[in-house]
Amino acid sequence: MAQFRLQGSKTLAVDMTGDLVKAKNGSMVAYTGQMNFKKLSGGGDGIRGMVTRRLTGEQMTVMEVKGQGTCYFADQATEINLVRLNGETLYVESDNLLCTEGTLKTGTSFTGLNGVSSGNGLFTTKVEGHGWAAVTSKGPAIILRVSQGMPLRVDPGAYVAHTGNLNRSIKSGAGWSTFIGEGGGEAVQVEFTGEGLVYVQPSEKLTVGGDV
Amino acid sequence: MAFTKINSKMIEARVVPGQRLFSQRGAMLAYTGEVRFTPNITGGQGGVMSMIGRRVANEDTPLMTVEGQGTVMFGHGGHHVQVIDLTGDTLYVEADRLLAFEGSLQQSTMFMGSQGGVMGMVRGQVTGQGLFTTKLDGHGAVAVMAHGGVFELPITPNQPVHVDPQAYVAHRGQVQNKLSTALGWRDMIGRGSGEAFQLELSGHGTVYVQASEEKL
Repeated sequence: MAQFRLQGSKTLAVDMTGDLVKAKNGSMVAYTGQMNFKKLSGGGDGIRGMVTRRLTGEQMTVMEVKGQGTCYFADQATEINLVRLNGETLYVESDNLLCTEGTLKTGTSFTGLNGVSSGNGLFTTKVEGHGWAAVTSKGPAIILRVSQGMPLRVDPGAYVAHTGNLNRSIKSGAGWSTFIGEGGGEAVQVEFTGEGLVYVQPSEKLTVGGDV
Repeated sequence: MAFTKINSKMIEARVVPGQRLFSQRGAMLAYTGEVRFTPNITGGQGGVMSMIGRRVANEDTPLMTVEGQGTVMFGHGGHHVQVIDLTGDTLYVEADRLLAFEGSLQQSTMFMGSQGGVMGMVRGQVTGQGLFTTKLDGHGAVAVMAHGGVFELPITPNQPVHVDPQAYVAHRGQVQNKLSTALGWRDMIGRGSGEAFQLELSGHGTVYVQASEEKL
């Protein structure tokens, strides 16, 4: 069993005893002991996954890390959030997925047309199974709970990941003022309904909808 | 101790008469008291010969001398600052990562090739660190910059540490460092894992690693 822990808030330490983890290509910063690094083509989901990822634009360059000792991962000084999955599914943008335990399965999932305007693309990465996953965020992420009757709206640029049984749909707050260039900068939002958790970062990446 | 951390990106230094500080030129943010900043043309200690040495070695980050009485705040480029106290041991660091250090420390330039021979030179080229590095020894405090937080990893004789060259910040102690390659046929056909080159540090000491692959 690989043991995930945080070394500070920006470095992930994984203690391994001969098992394997999948991590973003090139994200290792240091290790002790014996480690082997092998690139997995197409996100490590096999030929079918590779083709899907190519087609969907959710390309991930992933490497397989196997060995004995402690391996440290970090990505451009972003904050790291540990997510423990017990059979549920984590949806995350492929850019934000740093490392997953070998026991977890990754794949792509169709998010529907709403991805286009949010700039997140039509597809997102799906992680499922039992084990640890490490998700990066620009600045410390907050975790917001969504329950029945309490929908949550998130700026698409600040959305990082979500778990649970959630539906997402795009909501537009654009009015006539948006079209004459006087929008509040919040014309597009993602609405989550159902039961689950949403990870939101205190930073907004550039999205198509972010300008209006 | 001359340096106190204000937050993760700023330090405060106490300046007292008779004790000098060196800092990267332009890194002063604010000061109180009577403090003079003089650009240090020779780029550090040791006179003209050392200056030529540093110029040749490309380790000649512009430094300034800080003298007087008062407190000075230092910070640069929003980078994280790590204060390292030296008690008679040696710190190896790239010149452009040095934010400030006490005048009680001996500064010199070290040729990488002297450690590890030809491989040491190859190492410098591959890692982008150049052929030379800056060496500080003696008693005193050093402030080092890094992108993202810094963490320390101990190096013990039976546990060498491998570090991504881009994430390497500095190291101290009796440490042998060499470039270890994990180049395979995969790297030749562009299917590398991005971890083909690593610095292997062995011996006795500490290595400082930053949480990012970004060079300063």
